[in-house]
Amino acid sequence: MASILFYILGFVMLAATLLCVTCRNPVHAVIYLVKGFFALALMFYLLGAPLIAAWEVIVYVGAIMVLFLFIIMVLELAPREQPQEPGWQRWVPGLLLAASIMICTLLIIFQDPSAASHGPNHFVGPREFGEALFGKYALAVEVVSFQLLFAAVGAYYLGRYQPRRRNEEDQT
Amino acid sequence: MIVPFEHVLAMASALFVLGLTCTLVRRQLIMILIGVEIMLNAAALALVGASAFWQQVDGQVFVVLLMAITASEVAVALAMVFYLRHRKGTIVADQFNRMHG
Amino acid sequence: MSETLLFLIPLLPLACAVVNMLFGMRLPRLFAETTAVAGVATSTALTLLFWDYSVGEGTRAVLGTWLSSGSLDVAFALRFDALAAPMTLMVTGVATLIHLYAVGYMHEDQDYARFFGLLNLFVFAMLTIVLADNLLVLFLGWEGVGLCSYGLIGFWYSKLDNAKAGTKAFMVTRVGDVFFGIALLWLFSLTGTLSISEINAQAASISPGVVIVLTLLLLLGACGKSAQLPLMTWLADAMAGPTPVSALIHAATMVTAGVYLLCRMFPLISLSAVGMTAITAIGALTALYAATCALAQREIKRVLAYSTMSQVGYMFMAVGAGTVSGAMFHLLTHAFFKALLFMAAGCVIHLAGNENDIFKMGGLARRSPPELLWVFLAGAVCLAGVPLTGGFFSKDGILLALFTHGDPVYKLFWLVGVITALLTAFYTFRLVYLVFAGEPRGHGHPHTIPMQMRWPLWPLALLGLAGGLLNLPVLVGGGERLHHWLGGQAGRHVTASHNLEWLLIGLAIVIVAVGWAAAHWRYRVFRGARDTKTTRFLLDGWRADQLVDLMILRPFNAIAGFCWIGCDRTLFDGTLNVLASQARASGNLLRRMTTGRLSSYLAAFAWGFLLILGWVLMTLVGRGGGH
Repeated sequence: MASILFYILGFVMLAATLLCVTCRNPVHAVIYLVKGFFALALMFYLLGAPLIAAWEVIVYVGAIMVLFLFIIMVLELAPREQPQEPGWQRWVPGLLLAASIMICTLLIIFQDPSAASHGPNHFVGPREFGEALFGKYALAVEVVSFQLLFAAVGAYYLGRYQPRRRNEEDQT
Repeated sequence: MIVPFEHVLAMASALFVLGLTCTLVRRQLIMILIGVEIMLNAAALALVGASAFWQQVDGQVFVVLLMAITASEVAVALAMVFYLRHRKGTIVADQFNRMHG
Repeated sequence: MSETLLFLIPLLPLACAVVNMLFGMRLPRLFAETTAVAGVATSTALTLLFWDYSVGEGTRAVLGTWLSSGSLDVAFALRFDALAAPMTLMVTGVATLIHLYAVGYMHEDQDYARFFGLLNLFVFAMLTIVLADNLLVLFLGWEGVGLCSYGLIGFWYSKLDNAKAGTKAFMVTRVGDVFFGIALLWLFSLTGTLSISEINAQAASISPGVVIVLTLLLLLGACGKSAQLPLMTWLADAMAGPTPVSALIHAATMVTAGVYLLCRMFPLISLSAVGMTAITAIGALTALYAATCALAQREIKRVLAYSTMSQVGYMFMAVGAGTVSGAMFHLLTHAFFKALLFMAAGCVIHLAGNENDIFKMGGLARRSPPELLWVFLAGAVCLAGVPLTGGFFSKDGILLALFTHGDPVYKLFWLVGVITALLTAFYTFRLVYLVFAGEPRGHGHPHTIPMQMRWPLWPLALLGLAGGLLNLPVLVGGGERLHHWLGGQAGRHVTASHNLEWLLIGLAIVIVAVGWAAAHWRYRVFRGARDTKTTRFLLDGWRADQLVDLMILRPFNAIAGFCWIGCDRTLFDGTLNVLASQARASGNLLRRMTTGRLSSYLAAFAWGFLLILGWVLMTLVGRGGGH
């Protein structure tokens, strides 16, 4: 039952992502992607990672994708303003490349089939997760937290930009 | 484990290739960044699958770290998109070619 | 008293030189001058004080080891013996007088510290040559005098000609030094020692052919320092330096270093008859060449420079004829009267208002203080070889030695010597007449002559006139004191029948008289400068400079130009330039790959990713096939 659900969710996720990639309107694209990430969160849950599933929804869907939407709206990317999106000439090499990579990856994956799944599903609870995160990987957490701080500072610096200085800088 | 590990990996790679295609063929900076997000999620899927396969918690921990890094990357990248839009009045990636040789 | 104190003789001038060079400009002028003069004067006093050390075999003093490597063991050692002692006394004594003179001569020059520093350093280097116990210490002094000579000729270096003259002197003497250096190394490899006395002692064991070559090498080295053919071109130009420098270095001391070297190595070189003949021939040719050049010179100092060259040629002839005592005798008297002449010439130039050209002087007899005429005349009669002066006896001794030499070819050299003596008398009196006789022809404003420039001339005049007493021949009741003093180092004892000696003396007197009469007839009244081809040829020193230019400098420049343009610029630079332009072209090619477009970079990432995947796949397949 769970496996069937998993395959359905996988199909939904890939389909949503494909629509996202091919969609011209960025707002639509982000909405499609949100859909795909919901499906992905459920897949995480099925794979025994409930915490990750929750964070996928909270962080990715709730924060990052909304941030994308927010920026798209701030920049007022109306469809008419968008450049003519690529014709098929541009798609062909990209698709060829993607297809080759896909084939190679699948070949590698199925080259050496692993033994079937080890026993029942292993659900990782918050306690076990927390012990691993703040015990074994405490240093990594510190490093990542620093990176977040730097990113915040950098984003603030870039956002300080004054549009009225644009003409002066272009002249220089 | 509910499905064979290979299937999880195949799905992750399909997702990755979709993200890669998006990055390669789209021209807007926003869409390129979305492609990057898709690829990162593909990696997350592979990590969670691996975590389930080996019954270890480490893969999931890495997914959390991955999310944090993605968040910071997106923050800076979007701020830069905002900045560039104001500087150049466009967000088409190929317009920014001042660093050509 | 320890014999190590002998080191004070050369080291005192060195110490004063160091003091002057380091602190001279910060000290009062009087102090700098006093230091310079006092250092040399003390050396003179010390030489007299230590005179007894030189009796007999002399005294060897060692300060310490300089170089020690395997069988090479060179010490800082001095040898104060019968040959070195008079030379030391002459160098220090004349140097003291010239230092005093220089105090007056340079009293307007602002750069006195450098001048006196170099002058003192020169005295140190010269004393090192004179007192050296081994050839390496001698070489140290040898190079030292070259360096100081360079610095002092180009003392007024802000004028390009002076700087060039200094460089020329340095380069030309360096040519001689190379040969001396070769001889030095060869002697070491042959005898295993650099000590002069030991080399001389072992000289007989060296094969005769090698001795000839060694003698020629030493001769070439001596030629460089003593301005003999073919390395003589620098001396006339060296007159660009201040007059005290010309007097000290280029008349009295340094140019005699070559003669002194040959005297030092006499036991070695006397073994080779060919070498001795070569020395005599070089001396004779130079004496004649320089005397002819002096005939046409217009600058007073250049006349004296050529006469110096000519007189040093006599000394070479003396060494070649085997009489070291004759050479040393002429060296000493020449040092006195030539220093005197140069210093008097400096006074003359002062009086004529810095006019060098003797054709524009004239009539100085009336304008100058009377003593200047007398001291100049004293020097001139010595140079011309007027009977009873020092120059007469020393020159006559050399001519006698040449005449009595067994080899008939020496008769020819004797003839050259006689002709040179005639020319010498002529150009000396020409100089005297042109400078002092007649009416003033120049318009220069006369300078007053300071006291320090006047009275050092008197002792030198006395020494020059009475220099004959040093080695008065038996014929006129003398005792040949110098010859006996030198003892084993004196060389051949010249003996001849009284009739022959009287004959030669008579000939010498006639020669001087003829020279004087010719000069009197020609230059008593100045009839204007003649500008014929011959005059110009002689004025240019037989065009020796042009010859050197044509024979050596042009080919050298051509080769150097080929190396520079042909090899370095075309071949090496060209190769490198081609390589560089290739690199730049390929870089330009690669530059096009960086389009600056984000999409191309992303595509490149993707291709790279595909490559890595392909490689992983290949290894997996390969491993799978291996199972």
